[in-house]
Amino acid sequence: MIKVENLSVSYSDKYVLNSITLEIPDGSWTCIVGPNGAGKTTFLMALLGMNPYSGSIKFNGKEVFKDMHRNVAFVPQRPQIPLGMTVREYVGLGRSKIDGWGRERKIGRALIYQTLEETQLIGLQNQLVTQISGGELQRVLIARAIVQEPEIMLLDEPTSALDLHHQITTLNQIELLKNKGVTIVSTMHDITLGAMYAERIIVMQNGKVLLDGGAAEVVHSNELKSAFDHGISVHTLKDGHTVITANKVRNELI
Amino acid sequence: MKTEIQQLKPVWRWQVNAVFALALIVVSVIAISIGPVNLNFNGIISTMLGRSSLLTDQERILLLEIRLPRVALAALVGAALATSGAVYQTVFRNPLADPYLLGAAAGAGLGATIAITNSGKSFSVVLPIFAFLGGVLAVLATFLVAGKFYTDPSSLLLSGIAVGSFATAVQTYLQQKNSAVLRPVYSWILGELTVADWESVKWAAIYIIFALGVLIRISKLLDGLMLSDEEAFSLGISPNKIRMIAVGAATLATATAVSVSGLIGFVGIVVPHIVRGITKKATNRALLSISLFGATFLVLADLGARTLIAPAELPIGVITAFIGAPFFLFILKAKRGRAQ
Repeated sequence: MIKVENLSVSYSDKYVLNSITLEIPDGSWTCIVGPNGAGKTTFLMALLGMNPYSGSIKFNGKEVFKDMHRNVAFVPQRPQIPLGMTVREYVGLGRSKIDGWGRERKIGRALIYQTLEETQLIGLQNQLVTQISGGELQRVLIARAIVQEPEIMLLDEPTSALDLHHQITTLNQIELLKNKGVTIVSTMHDITLGAMYAERIIVMQNGKVLLDGGAAEVVHSNELKSAFDHGISVHTLKDGHTVITANKVRNELI
Repeated sequence: MKTEIQQLKPVWRWQVNAVFALALIVVSVIAISIGPVNLNFNGIISTMLGRSSLLTDQERILLLEIRLPRVALAALVGAALATSGAVYQTVFRNPLADPYLLGAAAGAGLGATIAITNSGKSFSVVLPIFAFLGGVLAVLATFLVAGKFYTDPSSLLLSGIAVGSFATAVQTYLQQKNSAVLRPVYSWILGELTVADWESVKWAAIYIIFALGVLIRISKLLDGLMLSDEEAFSLGISPNKIRMIAVGAATLATATAVSVSGLIGFVGIVVPHIVRGITKKATNRALLSISLFGATFLVLADLGARTLIAPAELPIGVITAFIGAPFFLFILKAKRGRAQ
């Protein structure tokens, strides 16, 4: 259970997050959406616990700030790509937390291999990370997070660099982890996609939680539209799926 | 499935290091034997093993008091520069970072110039101390200038450039004011190992081996510095702490190397890249290989420096750039060729 109380983060006197209070139950998938600059990534960073914040974030009753004992995997939107490291070595870094840096225990090695198989990376294992495509890199990042065997997984826009097909395979992969009991918190631009996978959606605007609830409930609410300045429309398809699109503004109207 | 797991390469391999160590020993023995007076191999080896000597007394003194300390110093300086370069490249996530980046070179240059201008002919005694202090102080100043942004690699780089330029400006001013010192300052800047004696080898060895030991010990954690700070944190390390230890140890090694040998360029950039080409490993994962190769590289360069235009001597920095630059270009070109 992650318990967030009165969480605020400010950069040079400007609040990026403004007194957020919420709870995230274990083994759930929470998706954070909202316009650019709403504070989504900052919220994710606060959950990671590296940078100072005011208020409190407790994981299983312990404050998360600088707590190195928790096992939280983080999948960044723009990762730093190391030179001269192969896909296999890069994925192997995920074991550092459990096996120690530069060390691999047998059980870890088996998990790395199994994960490379599952994420269809086994053929790429000896390629340099600098030489793979954006979609492959995203899979590599997910694979690294999987071998970390985390309790919580934080993902910043996990699908933004991917084509439609790989968006789905990546999200399926994350869903498998959720089913194993990992708590997932992700930011996403694509609300339609988020609502397909996450059971809970939090809409943020100007550093505050605007809406928080079950996926279906949030998607059909009016507040969602107002968060995006009424620039979006919600359509329900015949098969019950919901699709959210941006309203096209005709040139002659501008 | 089991066989597949075994096929995965282990992360660390000792064989490569064994080959590099052997190369260093062979090259060192060759370097010791060649000079105005050539010494024979059997004589060198039996003398070094402490057995009854096949060399004359004069040859023994030449071997033990002149050639050996010089080769030892070259090896230490080479290892220090190459390893610090590799660590700086990892910490600053920049393949072109070199060990002089944070102002160590300019600071040491200023220190050396102050020593040479103020202590007359006996400067060789105080020069290493002044150069060492200059280098360390300049790096400290870089951190002070960066202030609270010291954890951000690019802020640190910028303040390093500022501090370096300032130190160079002061150095140039002193140099112009005392034109008599131009020659010794200039030859120091180009790098020289002529002052090698056991006393300087001893001091250099203490600092450099300590610093390299720290760096090799934390080298596996440096993996984390190649990721973003958030990723490193989520994998269980404090990136700032590791960065400070790494930069501190690399600066100690660099300042020591500079204080005994002047400014020897190119080693810190070229050697890590060559070794990465050979071992196919991320720079920080091959620090021991890089130390050994750097040592070998500089022993060879020094051999060239004292034999190419014998009896005169070339500055060793000229040799490293002379061999290093074309070799570097060759590797870059070969790499591009493969990539296409």
